[in-house]
Amino acid sequence: MGYVWHFEVIWEYQAVFYRAAVVTVEVTIGSLAIGLALGLAFGMMRLSQRAALRWPAAFYIESFRSTPVLVQLVWIYYALPVLSGVQMGNVTSLLVGLGLHSGAYFAEIFRAGILSVERGQMDAAKAIGMRHFQAMRRIILPPAIRRMIPPFINEFATLMKLTTLGTVLAVGELLHESENLINNTYRPLEVYTVLAVAFGVIIFPIILLSQQLERALKVRS
Amino acid sequence: MSETSAIRVRGLHKHFGANHVLRGIDLTIERGEVLVIIGPSGSGKSTLLRCLNFLEEYDQGEVWFGEHLVGYRRARDGGLVRDRERNVARVRAQMGMVFQGFNLFPYKTVLENVIEGPVIVQRQAPESAREDGLALLRKVGIADKADAYPSRISGGQQQRAAIARALAMRPQAMLFDEPTSSLDPELVGEVLDVMRGLAAEGMTMVVVTHEMGFARDVADRVVMMDEGVLVEEGAPSEIFRAPRQPRTAEFLRRVIH
Repeated sequence: MGYVWHFEVIWEYQAVFYRAAVVTVEVTIGSLAIGLALGLAFGMMRLSQRAALRWPAAFYIESFRSTPVLVQLVWIYYALPVLSGVQMGNVTSLLVGLGLHSGAYFAEIFRAGILSVERGQMDAAKAIGMRHFQAMRRIILPPAIRRMIPPFINEFATLMKLTTLGTVLAVGELLHESENLINNTYRPLEVYTVLAVAFGVIIFPIILLSQQLERALKVRS
Repeated sequence: MSETSAIRVRGLHKHFGANHVLRGIDLTIERGEVLVIIGPSGSGKSTLLRCLNFLEEYDQGEVWFGEHLVGYRRARDGGLVRDRERNVARVRAQMGMVFQGFNLFPYKTVLENVIEGPVIVQRQAPESAREDGLALLRKVGIADKADAYPSRISGGQQQRAAIARALAMRPQAMLFDEPTSSLDPELVGEVLDVMRGLAAEGMTMVVVTHEMGFARDVADRVVMMDEGVLVEEGAPSEIFRAPRQPRTAEFLRRVIH
């Protein structure tokens, strides 16, 4: 087997990777923001005592968790305009799609985190005259969010890798640009290897950082 | 019973699903009175206590705290509807509650626990709240633990911190839900001493406890509860020396050996 690696070919195209990495990071941050906001809102709704809030939240969460992201993206980009006349650009579609998808998972992370806080904490907060919202913000969420960090980082890493599905909408993120590059250079193994390394270089430091954050938070209390 | 009673309970019913936990409770607690509720576990004592500050929603009947109906308000048609959360919270703030499991906020120091209510709910300036809080911690004997986190102090100290947290709201009444039941035996005394001190100051107290010694020495009145009803009530001397109801006698035989 005499495969000869030619990474030097890729080296000439490094600007393509930098440009695509920026798009990947932007899409990740954008859909993360949407996902977190949706996740917090729907996670709280699913915990509500009112069925009128609980049921729609459950419907949203379970339908996005039980269907393929790829189909969700294609559907938002191609089918939604046909049905509703709303045509979003490819980047916006990707942001909305991944935001909705990760929002369903973040909702479950929020919900589990809030449920992990002992019931007595809410009792104690209410007994000193706090309203539900105050008790959530001051008493329940701080410890809940600490416990959410590991699953949160998990979901974050997953989300960043899911941005590669943007290639089906021709969004110029890392995978899409890599595929274009393969068409020009005919060096798929080298390109995919660099692609993997690029993701690792972005995601790994964030994992390290989160572990330090976790440790730092554990020291107090 | 008079208009100036601290707490009045009328025809109170509470279900948990098919389980009929409170089956028509009538009870009046006067200002400055120490009422101790005794009875077997599962008799509804804690549920009754939690209905007093609406941590538990009752299904039927009325709970009055002074002139406030707790948890409900009169609708135009005369029926009762759920009160606004703000009003419920305002009434709750005037009743301190101490829990079996302490329920201190674990990520806050003892002093931060104590000033949380005054600063966040009553909007007292943090500086003066700290001064008041330290005075309360001195009163319950744990001023030296002000900056400790709850996990670093003993159960007895945690429960005293929880009492200080409740007192910081300057409540008109204090509810105690088995405050010594999760303490090691040697730590029970320090918590009961603090409660004795409060009673001596004239605090209105409703105490659910299995500490019969405390009930005998400190209570103005003892009520015996079983299967969701009040079986018997009277001065501790009557209840402990000559219970009228067989259920009370049977219960006391089992807990006092």
